[in-house]
Formats: sequence, structure tokens, C-alpha cells
Amino acid sequence: MIEIRDLVYGNLCIPELTIHSGCTALIGKNGSGKTTLLRLLAGLSRPESGFITLNGMPLVPGAIGFVNEYPDKNALFSRVYDELASPLRFRHCSCEDVKRRVLEAANRAGLDHQLDRTMDTLSGGEKVLVALLSAIMHNPDMLILDEFDSHLDYDTQEEADQLIASSGSSLIVRCTQNMDVAAKFGEVIVLQRGSVLHDGPPEKVFAALESTCCYPFAWRQGR
Amino acid sequence: MEAGPVKLSLDRVEKSYGLWTCKADAVFTPGVHLITGRVGSGKTTLALIAARVLKPDQGAVQYEGIQSQTLSFQYPEYHITGSTLEEEAASYGVDPDRALTLARLVERRSEDPFRFSRGELKAFHLICLSLLPWDLLILDEPFSALDCTEKLAASRRISENKNGILLVCTHEQHFLPRTDYLWEMRSGLLTFLGPVPEAVASWESAPGPIRSLRAQGIFPANLTQQDILEAACRTHD
Repeated sequence: MIEIRDLVYGNLCIPELTIHSGCTALIGKNGSGKTTLLRLLAGLSRPESGFITLNGMPLVPGAIGFVNEYPDKNALFSRVYDELASPLRFRHCSCEDVKRRVLEAANRAGLDHQLDRTMDTLSGGEKVLVALLSAIMHNPDMLILDEFDSHLDYDTQEEADQLIASSGSSLIVRCTQNMDVAAKFGEVIVLQRGSVLHDGPPEKVFAALESTCCYPFAWRQGR
Repeated sequence: MEAGPVKLSLDRVEKSYGLWTCKADAVFTPGVHLITGRVGSGKTTLALIAARVLKPDQGAVQYEGIQSQTLSFQYPEYHITGSTLEEEAASYGVDPDRALTLARLVERRSEDPFRFSRGELKAFHLICLSLLPWDLLILDEPFSALDCTEKLAASRRISENKNGILLVCTHEQHFLPRTDYLWEMRSGLLTFLGPVPEAVASWESAPGPIRSLRAQGIFPANLTQQDILEAACRTHD
């Protein structure tokens, strides 16, 4: 469980917010503060004031899986294999263990033919898949995903969802502009101009957004 | 002298990276051409070749009657050249005041473009493009990072295209523009599916809502959100 109290960072101001274990969708207009909040949750930025805890403890950035919204900003290494291996190498796993786990994961994600490619030759969607796989490689307790799905087609998104589900992460916060995806999550948080406009289960949150284009298309279509 | 009709031809074009090859043999005439396909299927490679940014290994790219052309990259930050948003608008050759007003960003005109969220930047970039004249416009993932309001606005602007050739490479699921012709990248090969709505039946990478309708034997008149909702409502008649 994440607890936020008296958080201020730039235009972001959240007096109190609790994010429970499970999957939470973060939605809101462009510029509403979604990425800013996600970077704070990932421990990549520090609050100007207030605090964020994970299960009552301070955030530890290395223990959190994070996927940046800019595909090019995720990669540290030029070769796909090295990028996928990096979370394990940073944890001093043995070479044999690294190789076995990278090959297993790449096979599961359908990236086994891409391991020798350089990151700059991948498509935007392929870069995102590599970033996602790299983020879950060390089975993080918490996964923070910043709108990675905007680079994926329908089928690849379904495959990415399966990868995320297999990560073993107990708490996932995912920013998305696909409301059909958000509607499937346990909780939804809506940001507006740096503040929380709504939060709670999808039925409650989207009921308040029914007159907007944020209402899940599948719910409208299914009527 | 009046200009003739515009035409873009990709004459047996091929571009290879290792064992993977992007192939296209196609002619694009005025209208909205939607190009979809799975991740890594070659949409961006095709867009770069069509824009003459990337030289094919084989074949030729021919422009007929195209006086002005623009390529919009998938990532809006690739376009940034100005140190303020106002300079950025001016760099497109458009009236900064008009662009900033349309984007509702007049008060932020002096800010560094890199201070904006990716969605804000993308929306601003598309507005600047909409103020430019063009005969050929190639949009690579124009909807990525946009919120639903901006997606709707972008989709409407694209749907208004009347005269030029507009290539839209995307895997957007919900806010597609009114489309004249449907194409699909299938393992690197550009495949013409036909005019919309006839082409919808053979669309392998169709968005979820359209797949859902198709599974019920329903085909929308076109691909906009309104078309899909109207088709969905027919199921309840």
C-alpha cells in the first residue's frame, strides 16, 4: 500500500491519497501531472514537501520497476540483450543465471529474435516491450508504468498485459489513455491540474465522467 | 497554370535491416490512408521512405504534383528546434499567436518546450501542422500520448482533409479519423485492403472495438468513434 501525505511538487498538490495493492490506473488530461506523480512514486523525484511511503517504509528506487513514457529514455545499453540483462547484473547475479533468465524472459515476450539488435534499430513499440521486460526482470514489488501502451497495437498490448500479470508485482500503478484498459483495474485515480479529482473503483470514478470522452468506450458500446 | 492531381508512388520499394525487409509497391492518391500493423511490422520505416527521409535499398519513390510535404515523427520531441514555445511555433512557419491560441497555451508562450508533458507537446505539434499548407502529410502515430479530448480534436482535423494525400500510421484503438483507404503492414509487406468500409472485413490488426463488432457480423460505415457507436446501437434495434 502506498500512502501519500501533504505532497507538494511543482504544481502537484495531494494532501492525502492511499493506493492499495493490486492494479491502479492513473488517468487525466495532458499536463495534469500524471508523469510527475509517477516519477515521485518511483522514487525518481523527491517531494518538495510531504512524504510517500510503501507499506509504511520510505521508497527505495532500485526496488521499483519503472517504464518511462519516452521509449528512448528507458535504455541504458545499446544492445537488447544487455538492456534486459542489466537489472540482474546490477544485482550481481551470476552470468549463467543472467543468461538463463534473459533467454526465458525474451522467449516469453517474443523478443528472442531481437536479442542481438541494437536499441536504436527497434521500432517504438519494440523499445517499449524491451523496457517493460527489463522493468519486470527482477520481479519488483512495485511496478510504475507511464503510458507505455500508447506505442502498442491491440494484440501486443494484450501480450504486454500478460507479461505484467506474470511479473509478480503486488502493486502496479499504470498511466494510460485507454479507458477500456483503466476500467479493468481495481482502482482509478483521476488527476486534474495537479490535484486528485476522483479516486476509487472504476464504476464509481467513471460514473462521474460519463458525459466526457473519458468514459470507457467498451461500456458505451455495450449498452 | 493549374496544378495537376497529386500522386505518391512507391515503386517496388525495399529496405532491409538484417533478415527483416520492408516492401511496398503502391500508389497513394488524395484522401485519408490509414496504415496499421503490429509493433515492428514496418510502419515507421514505410513513413520515412514515403517522406524521402530514408532511402530504400531498391525501388523508387515518386512524387507527382506534390509541392509541399511534411512528416510528423512519432515522438514530438524530435521536432523541437525553438527554445520557447513561441519560437517553436515560428519554426514551423505558422503564426505563433494563432497556434498558441488554438492550443490554449498563450500564457505559457515563453516556456521551454521541454518543460511540457509529451501529450501537450504532441497536441501543439499537430496544431502547428494543421496550420501549414501541404499536398502530402505523413503522420507517424499522431494519437500517441494525447488525451481523449486532443485525440478527438486531432481525428476531426484529419477527417477534414479534402485535397491532399494524408498517410496516417497508427494503432490507435478508439479515436480514428474518417478514412478513405485502409492499408496494413503484414510482416514488412505493405498490403492494400481497399476502400472503407469494404476493407474492414479483412483487417487483421483492427482495433478492439471494431473486432468486437465484426464478431457479431456488424460492420461500421467508417472508423470514427461515432461510426462505431452507431453500428453498435444497431445491435439493439
